[in-house]
Amino acid sequence: MKNRIRLSEIFAIGALLAISGALRAQTPESGDPGHEQTAPTSSSPFNFDTKNIQFSGFGTLGMIYTHDKEVRYIRPSTNHPGHENPDLGPDTVLGVQANVTLGSHAALVLQAISRESTLGSYKPRASLAFLSYAFTPNVTVRAGRLRTPFFMLSESIDINYANPWIRPPSEIYSMFPFSELNGVDLLLTFGGIGGFDVELHPYYGTSDLPIYQDGKGHLKNVRGLNITATSGHLTLFAGYGQTDFSLKWRGQDLQTLSQYLRQPIVLNGNDILRDLSGSDGKGSFGVAGIQWDDGKWLFIGEYNRLRANRYAHRAHAWELTAGRRFGEFMPYVTLASHTEDRPITTKRVALAMAIPGVAEQLNEAVDAFLASRNLSQSSATLGLRWDFYKNTAFKLEFAHTRIHNRSWGSFFPENPNDPPATLNQRMWKRSINTLGVSVDVTF
Amino acid sequence: MSRSRLISPLRTVVACAFTALLLGTAPFVRSVAAEPDKATAAASGVQLVTSAKGAVNVLSREEATQLLLGHRNRLNDGTPVTLIDLPSGQIRARLYQILTGKNPVQVRANWSRLVFSGRVRPPLEASNENEALEWLINTPNAIGYLPSAVNDKRIKVLLLVDG
Repeated sequence: MKNRIRLSEIFAIGALLAISGALRAQTPESGDPGHEQTAPTSSSPFNFDTKNIQFSGFGTLGMIYTHDKEVRYIRPSTNHPGHENPDLGPDTVLGVQANVTLGSHAALVLQAISRESTLGSYKPRASLAFLSYAFTPNVTVRAGRLRTPFFMLSESIDINYANPWIRPPSEIYSMFPFSELNGVDLLLTFGGIGGFDVELHPYYGTSDLPIYQDGKGHLKNVRGLNITATSGHLTLFAGYGQTDFSLKWRGQDLQTLSQYLRQPIVLNGNDILRDLSGSDGKGSFGVAGIQWDDGKWLFIGEYNRLRANRYAHRAHAWELTAGRRFGEFMPYVTLASHTEDRPITTKRVALAMAIPGVAEQLNEAVDAFLASRNLSQSSATLGLRWDFYKNTAFKLEFAHTRIHNRSWGSFFPENPNDPPATLNQRMWKRSINTLGVSVDVTF
Repeated sequence: MSRSRLISPLRTVVACAFTALLLGTAPFVRSVAAEPDKATAAASGVQLVTSAKGAVNVLSREEATQLLLGHRNRLNDGTPVTLIDLPSGQIRARLYQILTGKNPVQVRANWSRLVFSGRVRPPLEASNENEALEWLINTPNAIGYLPSAVNDKRIKVLLLVDG
């Protein structure tokens, strides 16, 4: 599958080319600032077609070059670990949206996006499909398919135009990469609390995540509360959530590992396997973030942590970004780190009888499995955003990443079927440089 | 040679061509980040207006700011309102700068985040002041902004923010 030519990928690129061409054809004075609505006529601007339905969209054409022949960059559990280098997969995305107004209180929002999935497909999927109802100016309920609101920028994770970077730091945003929430939420706003506009955002629902290869993650009863406070240039964010979850890895690596660990000589093989994959997990996640944007200086900071009783590791992560605008140019620097607090399992292989080298080899295989699910790394990124045309931003990013010990970070080995010991030696503590280029548009 | 090895360079070439195309035209387009105020704009203020026959009679500065930030689409009394934007330019940049403290790049980033995360519907954008005036007149609950020099009996001024 991964080597197949993807027609949808070509379509996505073609659509972006067409959009960009259309944008460039407009004069700056007559163009649209970001949201296309069917042009109302001057005599009757608000018939059904114009007032009640608005179409808009966004897209990124991005590619990342990994300066390392033995590994390639991926967004873990978001895109497919292909062999291309430079790779369009991690960052290229196209989204179209319709906002439909239903009377004075209700609205329908539909959004479809196309981006490379973990299976290597660009098949469009519904990323938003919900009904909202505003009971009062300050209370809105939404039900249907929403974006997951787990971290500070999760709801706009694909809206790269809204962010300074080519992509939000993977140390933070690959930690819990579920993107759609099927459920319900409430948006409660309060104005003027100590000079802050405050939003309370409780949510409840389920979420699914296809995982390379053939794995699947499922959240049920995911519930949480976010609080956002905004005052002038300052935004503060805090959130906490809990979930029941299943995480079923079905890749070749787990199958091989299972065969090893189910040998009669291994006493605790099944115990270890029960820690790795199954359907009765419980987890929690918390986040605190801050943003300052006064038009000249931009600062973004975020800290989050993930807790799970099994199947996923416990970890925490942070990122700090500082940018300075010079007209339409904004250079920025980002430091980010993801640290594993506890691996998926801490159990070591116990054998019924001591055979020289066997336990070590089996533990190497367990370690390779755990490392491939460990995102621990630290990175320093130097970037430049150039808003060279309205609704269009060009971005260039150089990143130096150091994978932590016993981790693969946000990289995938070029030859994942090499022996575990070889993979461990290759991936752990590796330093890698990447260069990314992207163009973001909204229309 | 596998097909993927053929397509990979093709992707790269397409991407490079796309980027070069965009970059190549950049020097010929007007700077969009600064959108500097000029003497003509400074000489007159900006007024937030609505239809003279409409239900909206009062708009506080705080409500106007929150409307422009996408933090609300209803007034304090519950009236749902539609924001009508002017196209990019001095008046629009001036209004947003004064009321929200954000420059055009920040404003666009803010709206794109809110709209595409499903929080708010995008504002309607008129293609010029005349069209904005027509829309405002014909839509009781629409709120827009025009240069304060515009004087028309069919609209009423809710807030004068400058000049």
